Amino acid sequence: MLTPYLAFAKKSFLNRSAYRFNHFMGILNTILRIFIFWGIYKALYGDRSEVDGITMTMVTTNFILSICLEAVFCVNDFYLPDRINSGSIANELLLPISFPGRMLADNLGNAVFKLIYHFVPALIVSVLIMGIQAPAGIPMLLLFILSALLGYGVLWTISFAVQMCSFWLINVWSIVTIKNVFVNVLSGSMIPLWFMPDWMSGVLELLPFSSIYFTPVQIYLGQLSYGEIAVKCAIQVVWIGVIYLIGTLLWEKGKRKLVVQGG
Amino acid sequence: MISFEKVSKFILSEVSIHIPAGVTTGVIGVTGSGKTTLLKLACGLLQPERGSVYTLGREATIPSGRQTKLLPKELGVLFAHLPLLQPEESVRSNFQSRGLIYRMPKERFWREYHRLSERLGFAEFQQEKVQTLSLGQRRRAELGAVLLHQPKLLLLDEPTVGLDQNAKEALRSLLEEREADGLTTVITSHDMSDIAAVCGRIAVLNQGRLYAYGSRELLLKKYAPVDVMQLTLRSGVPNLEDLPVKSYAADNDKWMLIYDSNHITSAEILRTILTTCSVQEVSIHKPDLEDVLMRIEQEKTEVTEEQGKT
Repeated sequence: MLTPYLAFAKKSFLNRSAYRFNHFMGILNTILRIFIFWGIYKALYGDRSEVDGITMTMVTTNFILSICLEAVFCVNDFYLPDRINSGSIANELLLPISFPGRMLADNLGNAVFKLIYHFVPALIVSVLIMGIQAPAGIPMLLLFILSALLGYGVLWTISFAVQMCSFWLINVWSIVTIKNVFVNVLSGSMIPLWFMPDWMSGVLELLPFSSIYFTPVQIYLGQLSYGEIAVKCAIQVVWIGVIYLIGTLLWEKGKRKLVVQGG
Repeated sequence: MISFEKVSKFILSEVSIHIPAGVTTGVIGVTGSGKTTLLKLACGLLQPERGSVYTLGREATIPSGRQTKLLPKELGVLFAHLPLLQPEESVRSNFQSRGLIYRMPKERFWREYHRLSERLGFAEFQQEKVQTLSLGQRRRAELGAVLLHQPKLLLLDEPTVGLDQNAKEALRSLLEEREADGLTTVITSHDMSDIAAVCGRIAVLNQGRLYAYGSRELLLKKYAPVDVMQLTLRSGVPNLEDLPVKSYAADNDKWMLIYDSNHITSAEILRTILTTCSVQEVSIHKPDLEDVLMRIEQEKTEVTEEQGKT
């Protein structure tokens, strides 16, 4: 018998496949974004083959991989807020299953669906039209996959912690928007950290946002030595642990608020 | 099974009650008397400000960590104002999710699912999304959902709201069957006839205090012992001198007698009347739980007025 969490991930996967129009629009959106970024960077580079040692191919590889990963790393930021607003959270707390576990299973089912049906077609179209740099060897490709998984973990835990604010706020839309802006701008997916001043990229590389997309892309491009990869992956693991701990503390405090104040 | 020891929370004040296993208990009281708060305390959704609540032998609290596998498996909870099923999913899909959550073996799940869907009558709309259902349809499905995993303790808050007579009857017979298997149920309802039909015990809440607790018969004897007998006489005039009748009224051949059933039975009154009269028709109105509540409200008003005078 499938464990409940695996079964929920499967259910989430199947639910997504029911909305075909939404699915095609999602692929179109990803491809359109890639084309827009391509146009912007082509205009910025002009006739130059590289800027500060960064080639157009490296930049193209960065935004294609980042945008394709973004399509997969689509976390439902309103899983908990919706349940708090409807009041159903009370009933869910009485179920013999971990609520955060169920939340993760639901998101993972969605991620696997997006990986197969968004990531792969968008990547194929992009590679055929724009071309990307090949991975710096099989070991780097495998380490890229490992780092991308950890990057998903970082993004999920950030969303998990942000959603906990809904225990105290009526509407978390603004906080979720701020979180998304931070992720988009500081993760290096829109503007690679290579183009940031040294002091800023030094700071950003320590923040959790850059470890979502930029670290896996750096590994893919072979810009990091094995030692540096180990450090970067350790940073990812530490951020997952720290943010998850914060989220769990808020979760316990939020539950306490529910049982003391009655919602 | 459920034990409250001097529990205070919101309007509830110093409530102590013990609900034994295998009994169906009804909680009645006017709106705002603390019925839903009592149920939320019993399942751990609320923590008491003072006192302690024990359910199924453990302190009632929202489970976390390893506890998630203990208490909730034995518990079935339905609150009238809290959605139980995922609105964007079909009834059947919701049940399948619950089967997974409660780790029910497939065979047992489908057996229970088909049994409940037929008994409660949600088989015909099982493929529809919950958000498209009427209140009555949704309530049928929700009742099935809380009974699915065969809990040991069932807490139902206003379970009959929106149900038609057939569904009420189906619920009543299901609860009776499960009670025979040892299920403990606590029900709140604003409809006293629902409570009276299924509950062996009744708890009366009044302004957050446990006003009375016992069998239905005991409560009626204590708080509403007044029976009303209506007679249509064919001939004669009844001699009421030796009877402990509280009051009576007569309109030609129609008589109405009000008496305390703790002091004299209807049969004794009728036997006395038949010695002097010939009776064409007789009807006796027995009080119900609604009368108990009215009597309690009346007592409360009297006490308030008394306090106002002093």
